[in-house]
Order: sequence, then C-alpha cells, then structure tokens
Amino acid sequence: MRLTALVRKETLLLLRDWHALLLLFAMPAVFILVMSLVLQNAYASHGDASFRYYLLDQDASAASTALGEALAAAGEFRRVSAAPGTVPEEELRRDRVQFLLTIPEGFGAALTGAHPLAVKLQAGPGVEPSVDKLFDAELHGALARIYLKASMAVLSARMPGMDASLAPDLDAVDKLILTESLYQAGGERRVPSSVQQNVPAWLLFAMFFIAVPLSTTWVQERQQGTYARLRSMGLPPRSLLLGKLLPYVVINLLQVVLMLAVGVWLVPLLGGDRLDLGRSYPALVLVACAVSFASVCYALLIANLVTSGEQATIFTGAANLLMAALGGIMVPRFLMPHVMQVISGYSPMTWGLDGFLDVFLRQEGATAVAPETLKLASFGLACLAAAALAMKLGKRR
Amino acid sequence: MIQIEGLSYRYPGAERAAIQGLSLQLRQGSLFGLLGPNGSGKTTLISILTGLLQPSTGSVAIDGKLLPAGLSESQRLSALVPQEYAFYPRLTVMENLGFFAALLAAPDGPVRIAEALSVTGLEAFASSRAEHLSGGLKRRLNLAIGLLNRPRLLFLDEPTVGMDPQSRRFILDTIKRINRAGTTVLYTSHYMEEVEDLCDEIGVLDEGRLLARGSLADLLGERGGRRLVVTLRDTPSSDQSRALDAIPGHAVAGSELTVEDCGERELQRVIDLLASQGLGVSRVRYGHGNLEELFLHLTGRQLRD
Repeated sequence: MRLTALVRKETLLLLRDWHALLLLFAMPAVFILVMSLVLQNAYASHGDASFRYYLLDQDASAASTALGEALAAAGEFRRVSAAPGTVPEEELRRDRVQFLLTIPEGFGAALTGAHPLAVKLQAGPGVEPSVDKLFDAELHGALARIYLKASMAVLSARMPGMDASLAPDLDAVDKLILTESLYQAGGERRVPSSVQQNVPAWLLFAMFFIAVPLSTTWVQERQQGTYARLRSMGLPPRSLLLGKLLPYVVINLLQVVLMLAVGVWLVPLLGGDRLDLGRSYPALVLVACAVSFASVCYALLIANLVTSGEQATIFTGAANLLMAALGGIMVPRFLMPHVMQVISGYSPMTWGLDGFLDVFLRQEGATAVAPETLKLASFGLACLAAAALAMKLGKRR
Repeated sequence: MIQIEGLSYRYPGAERAAIQGLSLQLRQGSLFGLLGPNGSGKTTLISILTGLLQPSTGSVAIDGKLLPAGLSESQRLSALVPQEYAFYPRLTVMENLGFFAALLAAPDGPVRIAEALSVTGLEAFASSRAEHLSGGLKRRLNLAIGLLNRPRLLFLDEPTVGMDPQSRRFILDTIKRINRAGTTVLYTSHYMEEVEDLCDEIGVLDEGRLLARGSLADLLGERGGRRLVVTLRDTPSSDQSRALDAIPGHAVAGSELTVEDCGERELQRVIDLLASQGLGVSRVRYGHGNLEELFLHLTGRQLRD
C-alpha cells in the first residue's frame, strides 16, 4: 500500500511537471527526427549523394572525356556545372561545391608519354579528410583505368600481331570485389540507414536525462522538509528508493516506446527511412529494461549527491554529454583512437548502444544482448548501493 | 511523556556540539514551548526526538520507551510538523492528505483525512493545488498532515512563521484544542507572545544548553524577577549621582537607573533615596515584564546569524 502510494505520488508529480515532460519526451523526439533526417545522406541509403564537384576539362580529348565518364560512373559524387558568371575557385572556397578537378590541356596526348601531365584536384575548406580521401580514391581508380586502356592501345599499335584476347578486361576488376553488409531488414540485405543508427543513440541519451526530474524532485523533498517528515513517519530508506525507482523506470520505458514509434512511423512520414526493430522483441525488451534500470539507479545516486536543483541539472547535463561522447552517441566508436575506444568500453551508454545495435543492426536475439544487459544491471545495482549509502551518510548531516 | 538525560549531539565537522548535555522532562498532556535564537539547537533536538538524528551521548525515552529501540513505537504515536511546507506543491490538498494517510496504512484513512480537513478548516480547499494556496492555508495543510495519525505527541517546529494575524490565531487556537484533547505538544517558536499565550511550560535553549525552564509565572517571577529599572524625570546632577552610589549594583544611563538583583528591602531603600534627592520618577519596572525581556536577558543581545 505504501509503495502504491509512493508510485502514484511520483507519477502525479511528473505528469504535472511540463518542463520534465518536454525534456524527457519532446526534446529527444525532436532530436531523433532532426538527426535522422539531416544525417540521411551520410548513410546514403537513398543514393542522393550530396558531395558535388566541378570538372574543368581544358583538354577536351578522348582521354579527358573518358576520365569524366569514369568518375560519373562511380556515382558517389555528383558533377555539377558552374553557373554562368561564377568563378569555380570562389565557389569551392565558399563550400558550394566540395571539389574542383582540372584536366590540363594536353593531358590526353601526354598520358602515355615520358612526361604525363597531372590533373589538379582541389578540395573545399569544409571537406572532411575521410571524404577527401574517398574522392581521391575514386579519381585514382578512374585514372588507372584510362591509363591502362591508353597503354594497351599504344602496346597494340607497336605489336600488330598481339592476340586481342590478351588485353585485360577492366570490367572484370569490379567482379573481384564482392561488397556485402551484414545488416538485414525485412529479410533482405541493406545498408543501415541513419534512423537505424540515430534512434538508439539519442534514445539512450534521453533516457539518462531522467536524472534531472528525479533529482530535482528529491532535492525539493529534502529542502522542503518532506523527506524529514517521511522519515519521521518511519518510512524506511528502501521504500523511498523503490518508490522513486518503479515509476521512473516506467517513464523511461515509455520514452523507449515513444522514440521507437517516432523512428517507425514519424521519420518515414517526413521522408526518412523507417526504423526496423530487428527480429527479437524479447531482446529489445531486455536491453530497454536494463538501460532503464541503469539510468534510474544512476539518477538516484545523483539525487543523493547533489544539494540543489541547479546542481542536479548542471551535473546531469555535463555527465550525460561526457558519457554520450565516450559512448559512441556523438562519434561512432570505430572512429575513435584505440585508447579512447578502450575508455569508451566503460561508458554505460556504450553498453546500452551496443545492446540496441545488436537488436536493430545485427538482428541478434536475447542471448547476444546478455553481456550488455548484465553490465547495465551491475552498473545499476552499484549506483543503487551507492545511493543507499549516500542516504545513510546524509542522515547524519 | 518525554525524558531526556544528558543529551549531546555534534554535526560531523562542526566546531561545537549543537546540543550539549541537555536534560529535560515533558509531562503527558503538557504544551511545552521551546524558545531559542537561530542555531540554538531547537530543530536538532526535534530531529533527535523524531529519530532523524542519532544522539552522540545521552538518552531519550518517549512514553517510557528508550530510543532508538523504541523508535518505531514512538513514531507511531507522534507526528512532526516541520517549519518548511513539508508537502508536495503540485498535488492538491486532498492528494497530499491521501498520500500521507496511505503511508500510515490506517484502515480508516478517509475518516482521518476528513478529521484533519475539519480541524484545520481546509474542507473548501480540498481540490486546490497546494502550490496555489496562501501562506496561511499552506501552514494549515502542513499541520493537517501532522494530525493524520492522531498523534499523542506532536512536534511543531515554528508552525506560524510568515502568517498573517488571523491565520496565526486560527493555528494557535487549533493547537490549544488539540492539546486540550490530550495531545502533548512540543512547540518551538521565535514569537514570544505566542509562547506566552499558548504554553503552560517554557524552556529557553541557547547554544545547545537549556538555560531556563518552568511555567511563565515562575520564569518571570523568579528568573530575573529582582531587576529594577527606574526612568527618572530628569538626568541626575553630579550631587544626586554621588548620592545614588549608595545603592549596590546600580547603573545610571541618562535618565534610566538600573539595579540588578534588587531585593524587596533594597527596593524600598531606592524609592526613599530617590524621594530624598528630589528625583521625580516617570516609570518603574520591577522583575521581567514579559518573556522577550527574559529571553534577551538569558541569551544576550548579540546577533546570531
């Protein structure tokens, strides 16, 4: 009966706190929506390549035309024409295009000679090194192809009796690479979409923000004497902790349902990809419950360490940003240096994200998410024990 | 009802003990007023009595049961009304009462809620959010929650702070009624006139020590009851001042003559001397006229925070 009363009270308080509801539900929903849509091209599942380049063909030879066609066939970058009256270099400097490729006059004629002319590739100031390298690789491949073709033509001319079947089939090179993503959705192999990556990431971020309303309420209870009154009524600390834990875990799980709904229904409505929930609902429930337990226990610990609502908000914000940065929410872990990847392995958000990605991307079941679930549960229990200890010590103050 | 013997408590890291060797007894049915400046140890004492703090040394027994062994029993028969608004502003009056009543797990919860609403006159505000209540109504809700377990012992920690005179009078009358119905009340306040009006026994606490205790009449009559303050019509001349030197323990400040520890015989001598010196008297005060004077006399006039 006591626990029911505590849970009911906490639920009513939260439902009447519009700031907390906005923070817990509206903020992450908008975040997921925005991040899924703005990063859609980064995952390029729609083939709507956003990297553009100018090609200044000062040679206008068969070789330069072939180079342009080979680049266009690669498809990752889009060739655009400079508008009349614009200066290509200026457009590049302003990041209106990402690259400017200049093929010098005489390029084709000198291609197989002793002194070949180099094409000039310029990248805009805002181009990421990884994208720069990618375009460089595309250009390298295209150049290698036309250079080989031109060399073979020269060789054939010098050796009239050469068997034509000995000429290499350049298209065969493409057949030497079999590209395959292990991500499957709806029974078919696909490239993971931005929504698939962003929903679990920002959902986790939002779930850990439960510490703000929880600790603010707890601080208010302490400051207003309500906590003293509750204890003077003989309410044991475990009831107080449990009375907070249960409703906030439910709120956390509601966040999960809402954010997944945004990914499944709202993002596609606005032109994004649809979130695929994987093939194991038990695994999804397991990860969601473990993250929820961990985040609420962590919130209980913060609530028992801070002494004001301002402290709770600032500490939670800073700690969440740090955990998110380390946990692969903001930067994928594989992009981190080795040392940071090792450190990242200790962030509860990493465990949660790995768990969700196991379900959403790797299409795993409950057994596969067990390690992450156990880590999250252990972290939660450790936080709960520390919160109980902080309560006990706080009693003496 | 309460027996305290040699009680001491020091907060971790504090320079001095908040309660120092305090002994005090409260009889059943009394309405005991505990006075003290800020930081004197009133709230600490209540926190120990309600089990929120564990004393460093000494013993506390409530209704014959020693704490902490008898804590759960004493918590069942007592209630604390903290000086803060110890309820949930976003809940209505009824939701607040319902929540605290549910924690008591009493089978007649609705009856107790109705009683608490009636005693504190909050029936008309049952569905109002606590955050929208006036200061006086909030104080009444704070008290109403404390009445839900029908306490035999009620700890009221400055329950009338920031109230208008009408609301304060209502609360004081309510406390009197509760006390007359048999509830022992330990009442702390800064308002001397409240304590004078309400309490049948008074204790003055300062720096964790009990400086005085007794009924109002006892305290005003005995403790410092031998102080004489005479306001003269004119400032005494040098000859008159020399004549007044014959009074032991006297001091003259302007036209005010003060004699500490002035017995009844000395009182007559002083009056005779003033008459013989032709010094007219405009006002005479003998003993402590009110509790505030006694309080300031015992605790001093320096600021505490």
